[in-house]
Amino acid sequence: MSAIVVAWRGAVGEAAKIPAFIRRDWLVMLSYRAAFVSDLVTIAIQAVLFSFIERLIDPATMPAYDGTRAGYLEFALLGVIVSLVTGLMLSRVATAVRQEQMIGTFESLLSTPTRPTTVQAGSVAFDLLFIPLRMGLLLVAVAFTFSLHFHAGGVLPALVVLAGYVPFVWGLGLMSAGAMVTFRRGAGLLGAGVGALGIISGAFFPLALLPDWLQAIAEANPVAIAIETVRETLIGGGGWSAIPGEAALLVPASIAALAGGVLAFRAALARERRKGTLGLYRCGPPARATCGAMAANAGA
Amino acid sequence: MPATLVSAAPADAPPRDAVVEVDEVHRRFGAVSALCGVSLRVQARTIHALLGANGAGKTTLLRVLAGLVEPTAGSARVLGRPIDASARTRAALGLVPSGDRTFYLRLSALENLIFFGRLHGLRLKAARARARDLLEAVGLAADADRPVSGFSHGMQKRLGFARALLGAPALLLVDEATHDLDPVAAHGIRELTRERAAAGAAVIWATQRIEELTGFADHVTVLQEGEVRFGGSLTALAAHSRGMRYTLRVGVLPAADPESLEEALEGLASIEPAADRDPSHLVLTLAPGVSLGSAIACMARAGADVIACREERPPIEDAFLAIVGQPL
Repeated sequence: MSAIVVAWRGAVGEAAKIPAFIRRDWLVMLSYRAAFVSDLVTIAIQAVLFSFIERLIDPATMPAYDGTRAGYLEFALLGVIVSLVTGLMLSRVATAVRQEQMIGTFESLLSTPTRPTTVQAGSVAFDLLFIPLRMGLLLVAVAFTFSLHFHAGGVLPALVVLAGYVPFVWGLGLMSAGAMVTFRRGAGLLGAGVGALGIISGAFFPLALLPDWLQAIAEANPVAIAIETVRETLIGGGGWSAIPGEAALLVPASIAALAGGVLAFRAALARERRKGTLGLYRCGPPARATCGAMAANAGA
Repeated sequence: MPATLVSAAPADAPPRDAVVEVDEVHRRFGAVSALCGVSLRVQARTIHALLGANGAGKTTLLRVLAGLVEPTAGSARVLGRPIDASARTRAALGLVPSGDRTFYLRLSALENLIFFGRLHGLRLKAARARARDLLEAVGLAADADRPVSGFSHGMQKRLGFARALLGAPALLLVDEATHDLDPVAAHGIRELTRERAAAGAAVIWATQRIEELTGFADHVTVLQEGEVRFGGSLTALAAHSRGMRYTLRVGVLPAADPESLEEALEGLASIEPAADRDPSHLVLTLAPGVSLGSAIACMARAGADVIACREERPPIEDAFLAIVGQPL
């Protein structure tokens, strides 16, 4: 049997384990019904908030997409949803590992015949499916409630753009998870990073309001590119042709982030195995004597 | 334990082959040495006990064998393959960790086992069936649908044992499985372990409970502060006992005190008052190679009527204490 066939079968076998993670996280989520509902309510409250802010903003100051002037609620809602997906997925990749370490299941997972990359992918698989679905449903609900106008023909192109963007976030999340495994800390740094990306993403206000030098950075920010492209497709309604050339930047950024993230996470796991602190909540070694000390004491 | 677990012998565990080969393994944590040149062999179909006090290195050795910790030096092989983090190596292992925080507490026992079963490559239906069989085997069938958060320490231990058997492992690594279990549950776990060994698995059983080894373990390795102090059979371990000690109840004592009674024993044994200070209780320590009968006969000739006799400390426990340098 050729190595390619063996590798292929191995990959299929590993992929077949992903539904187990999805089922696990679905069941865990169902056990936290109140948290699930309150999460949706929080986002709905944000939509109501933005609808009031919209009244303060002169529509003429808002950017136009393919000739269509965006309302602030439409503009902000798409930005909020993409950045929420970004933030949730970024934090979930890292916190999934941290959570497994804290509840003590990380070593149990790694004791099974499952590759670490499968464990990683499985830990976020549910969120990868569920968060975009939840946000999509919320978008539809808010659009109906506030009579917002989104182009149905832009939904599929927007999803394709997001599919190209998600590996970028996942890659960053893996790097962050690697840092979590290594340092047992990083939530604060992660939050600061997400916040910085958010400022130059144009999620809440047009990028034109930024200073020139920040605008230049924002033009290469994959988060900003993803948000702007989703707006182009859903608000402008240009369909596939609305996807600007910058969106092509998402693919190499995603490949680079994902490759870097996988390598960083693997390196973090290998380091922990060498140190012997893989499943430990803290990094400290057990306290005991050195080799031969006991024998020397016994002989004394 | 209400049910017998029926499972196939591990396909890649030929009888009497060394499943585990550990050679001169060292493991340091910074300046601290947890394992200092540990070597051992474990054959298929045998139960190999790792005996040692807290901090002796038992758990570290199991974690090395499970691929969770890399040795600093030395080599360890399972089924002839070097231990690494590969899925292929881990497929041969079943690990029962010592801690009880190893499950998803919001999920039921059944769902936990189904999840881990699927990570062992079982499809959903097969994983469910296997999980139910194992829950039955460890006496948790009635609690299958309860969240693990409501389980006692002992129940989580039993669940951990069930999880370790999901993949019908060729090597079962068990860390303090019966610690904190009631006698019935502990007996059940040992029976399951025997079944696995009889089916072809090699078992490494780390414990501090000396009393459970008699009639259970085939081989013993005594660890102390990361070093192997003894390796061999239980019989060989018992030979390290420093002399058999018995508590005697004596009906009629001669007028003389225990010292004069010891003189009458002519070096066959020493005798001293028992700790309870009851004058009818004496502690008899036999000299090496002396039978209990000859000592009691000697005492009878000196006028002592031995009514009852109880072994004060099992020879294995005494041997262990002698090996690790503890006083009697």
